[in-house]
Amino acid sequence: MMFILLALIFFILRIMPGDPVLAIVGGKAPQHVIEQLREQMGLNKSIPAQFVDYVLSMLRGDLGKSTLTNRPVLDELKERLPATIELTAFAFVMAVLIGTFWGAEAARKKDRSLDVGARMFAIVTYAIPVFWLGLMMQLLFGMVLKWLPVAGRISPALSFTPITGFYLVDSIIKGNWAALWDAFKHLIMPGVALGLIISSIFLRMVRNNTVLMLSKDFVKAAVARGIRERAVLYGHALKNAFVPILTIMGLQLALLLAGAVLTETTFSWPGVGSYLVQKIRYRDFPAIQGTIVIFALIVIVISICVDIINALVDPRVRY
Amino acid sequence: MARKIFRSSTGIVTFIGAAILVFFLFLAVFSPQIAPHNPTERVSRPLQAPSSEFLFGTDNLGRDILSRVIYGARIALTIAFLAVVIAAAIGIPLGLISGYIGGVFDRILTLIMDAIYSFPGLILAIAIAAVLGPGIVNIALSIAVVYAPTYFRVIRNQVAGIKDELYVEAARALGARSPSILLRYILPNVLPSVVVVLSMNLADAIMTEAGLSFLGLGIAPPTPDWGYDLSSGQRFVLSKAWWAILFPGVSIITTVLGFSMFSEGLNEYLNPTIRERR
Repeated sequence: MMFILLALIFFILRIMPGDPVLAIVGGKAPQHVIEQLREQMGLNKSIPAQFVDYVLSMLRGDLGKSTLTNRPVLDELKERLPATIELTAFAFVMAVLIGTFWGAEAARKKDRSLDVGARMFAIVTYAIPVFWLGLMMQLLFGMVLKWLPVAGRISPALSFTPITGFYLVDSIIKGNWAALWDAFKHLIMPGVALGLIISSIFLRMVRNNTVLMLSKDFVKAAVARGIRERAVLYGHALKNAFVPILTIMGLQLALLLAGAVLTETTFSWPGVGSYLVQKIRYRDFPAIQGTIVIFALIVIVISICVDIINALVDPRVRY
Repeated sequence: MARKIFRSSTGIVTFIGAAILVFFLFLAVFSPQIAPHNPTERVSRPLQAPSSEFLFGTDNLGRDILSRVIYGARIALTIAFLAVVIAAAIGIPLGLISGYIGGVFDRILTLIMDAIYSFPGLILAIAIAAVLGPGIVNIALSIAVVYAPTYFRVIRNQVAGIKDELYVEAARALGARSPSILLRYILPNVLPSVVVVLSMNLADAIMTEAGLSFLGLGIAPPTPDWGYDLSSGQRFVLSKAWWAILFPGVSIITTVLGFSMFSEGLNEYLNPTIRERR
């Protein structure tokens, strides 16, 4: 799987039209400069040889150097990854909470206002671009009401030096409560924007699966035994509804990553997504390639985790 | 009774979706006649709030936002349709052949398509668009690559299921060649399932296109484009120009809503018939 994704990325970035060397030096550079750069980057070799070089260096964990900053891409990505994880984790938890509780309650009161509301919410948020929601929130909560900061991760005035890169964790370690509050305030808007967009998918899945489970015999049996309605809903129906949801949850995490690229750009959030967009603007091909490889790696790790969790949760799944 | 209500409410949803689509198609086709101003020309001072002369206000370059929104429908719909057509043109034939031939070829192709499918679509589109550069066809192509696996999977699985059916075998026994079996016997039977995927993909394609152009990977600047018009959003936020953010965004949302409502209705309508036919 990883190999195929690596090959795909290579194919897209190298073989398709567009010359990375020309992109760096511009069209008017003298021929010998171009040749020299080509040799430096290993682009004068044949395509299969380039591919072997590329796969070997990826296996060594070497993502190459950024042509813009001349720093190893991996180092630059390491600095930015915690920001993305912080943002996506917040959004994911929020989406799961909204999806689970609203979805379960909507399933309990099927076709009543709560359920219709949930369905409307799901359809509408599916159609809202996350960057637009972000901009509207910035306008309302940042500019008009002035409740929350519009961009960035922390106020520069605090001159905060990170340890792990996870600002929330760092400020707790340091016992710097002002920084914790400040970092949290910066996180709310991008996190909520991204979380709301993703939550619609969870909401829909939880609702539909719980409705299905509520009609099953084991739920009727539980009700007949006199177990309270809420306990049946959460303990019996929802618990069983979650098995198929888990699988799709993994796929949603991939969607979350794509959403993070847009959200980070909207909120100038210094994560991997805004890094990618920045590098594209400067046509920094090693950095673009490295970032996409990292994204591929994350997707694969997530899908393996989902498979493992699935096997743990559902004893019927065996590999 | 309950079923009747359900039916009619689905009908209403489909109808609203179709109405929205017709509206935007109308805007796209007749934009030169409808738009009050030239969308790429400076017609007033920058960032004017909505007024009777400029219903949606003006943007940071003093261009009429209403006209840009109307013309934006052209780009959005063109790219979305083009992308979906390309995706189907790649995915359907490959799915047909892969499902029909089977074996190693099928396994490798399925693996590749699954890899693309599992990758976050927007990020893949970003990578391809970054390499290809701006332009309508290039953007459509980058979006198409993301959605081609969907068609491949739907078609391939169905073909693999029906290729041993009696009528296929009968055709083979009568001496029909593989290409004609595929085109005349198998294709008509698997095509209906694609229609729903197609209309759903149109909604997603519009979203992806908006995302790409928001990131500056879309159409070259002066051309009106909803996503691109939002990309100077930070500037609009700081100057509290809500109209410059609201209207292009609402156009994206209504178009996507239109497509997804329509496809949902289509799904309800088509799926039973597909099931009956089998």
